[in-house]
Amino acid sequence: MSFLNKLGIGVAAGAGREGSRPLAAASRPRSSGATPSAAVGATRAPELRESTRVSNGLKEFLWNLDGLGRGTLLDLGPAWQTTLSFFIERGFRVSSEDILRAWKEFLVEEEAKLRSAANASEELDVSPASRATRFLETNLRYPALSFDAILLWDLLDYFEPVVAKQVVACLTELLRPGGVVFAMFHSKKPEGFQRYRVVDSNTLQVIATPPLCPAQRVYQNREIQDLFVRYRTMKSFVGRDQLRESLFIR
Amino acid sequence: MWKKEEVKSQPATDNSASAGNSASATSISNPKSDAAAPLSTNAAACISQGIRIKGEVSGSEDLFVDGYVEGKLNLSDTCCVTIGPNGEVKADIFAREVIVRGRVDGKIVGREKIQLWSTANIAGDLRTERLTIEDGAVLRGRVEIETGRPLGKNVEARGAAAGAVGKVASIPASSGSAAN
Repeated sequence: MSFLNKLGIGVAAGAGREGSRPLAAASRPRSSGATPSAAVGATRAPELRESTRVSNGLKEFLWNLDGLGRGTLLDLGPAWQTTLSFFIERGFRVSSEDILRAWKEFLVEEEAKLRSAANASEELDVSPASRATRFLETNLRYPALSFDAILLWDLLDYFEPVVAKQVVACLTELLRPGGVVFAMFHSKKPEGFQRYRVVDSNTLQVIATPPLCPAQRVYQNREIQDLFVRYRTMKSFVGRDQLRESLFIR
Repeated sequence: MWKKEEVKSQPATDNSASAGNSASATSISNPKSDAAAPLSTNAAACISQGIRIKGEVSGSEDLFVDGYVEGKLNLSDTCCVTIGPNGEVKADIFAREVIVRGRVDGKIVGREKIQLWSTANIAGDLRTERLTIEDGAVLRGRVEIETGRPLGKNVEARGAAAGAVGKVASIPASSGSAAN
């Protein structure tokens, strides 16, 4: 067998060549077909896992909005019944826009445009900055100073850094002075994709869902401060689940 | 045994197109109902798939839209409009009750109730007394709940419980309204 391997036609010849690969690449599973999920059955519908977490950030967020009366809130996550009813019942006037879904749809459109531009031998500016500008031309279109509070969730982790910066700048324009942004940041690159909805004043329901976009970046404290440099106060709560909840007051 | 099956199939039909009965919130939370529910059996009028209308549609009968409408949908205060899963409406909608399973680009005013099913995709403001949103519905716009009877704590508990099991509950009349 070793003789055949030397000739490069042995059974383990392929594996021998793989030995020169980087360790990370070599240690990857060789085929997805052998994964347990595939063994269970490909047609099985994915189940959404749900759990709850205590959210001091949400509690503080509500405390900051206490006494506001009929405040205006922008929820940038999916339109959950419980979240909307929670804030509407407290007198908020709520707007909802699932901005990450919009980003995903925008990327699909951009790809299609790029293909058609390539076919027509036209030039399309695909730099992240211009892409971010194009994205914000059709999203987050509200009058300036429209909102007292914004629920940003952990969405910034999933945008390209340039887009994240422009989104924060745009949100800052929408927020009234004294307004509050509730955001979350993963301390480690998240393995899955989660959505959040409000259960009560200090509890969030965490719902594992199929990923819309891969996580782009893990922000460090300094980078977060730089993103929200125009805000006067920042307060963070770090949870055991590697999730940092932050409040930013303009 | 046969009667049981009949009874089971009846609520879904009522829910999708009935005007007289306000459909229960729990009945639309059934994920199988999307595929199983008949589309427009009770609807008096139907704009079916493949039909395209540009202009104003008005009337005093229930309406089921599974085609394309651009312009305005203005029905009387006793009517229910259902936008089917294949329906695409680029128009403001006015009716007593509006059920959305397809795509709407425009303002929706459901005087009594608006239901958004999981397949709903809405870009526009909502104005109603009661709003029901199923998980998976996409909403991009303001929510304006018209003032009505005051809320008790039971509503919050019901909403939270519904969220915990991934189902829907309706948002009844409250003091909240749209941003701006």
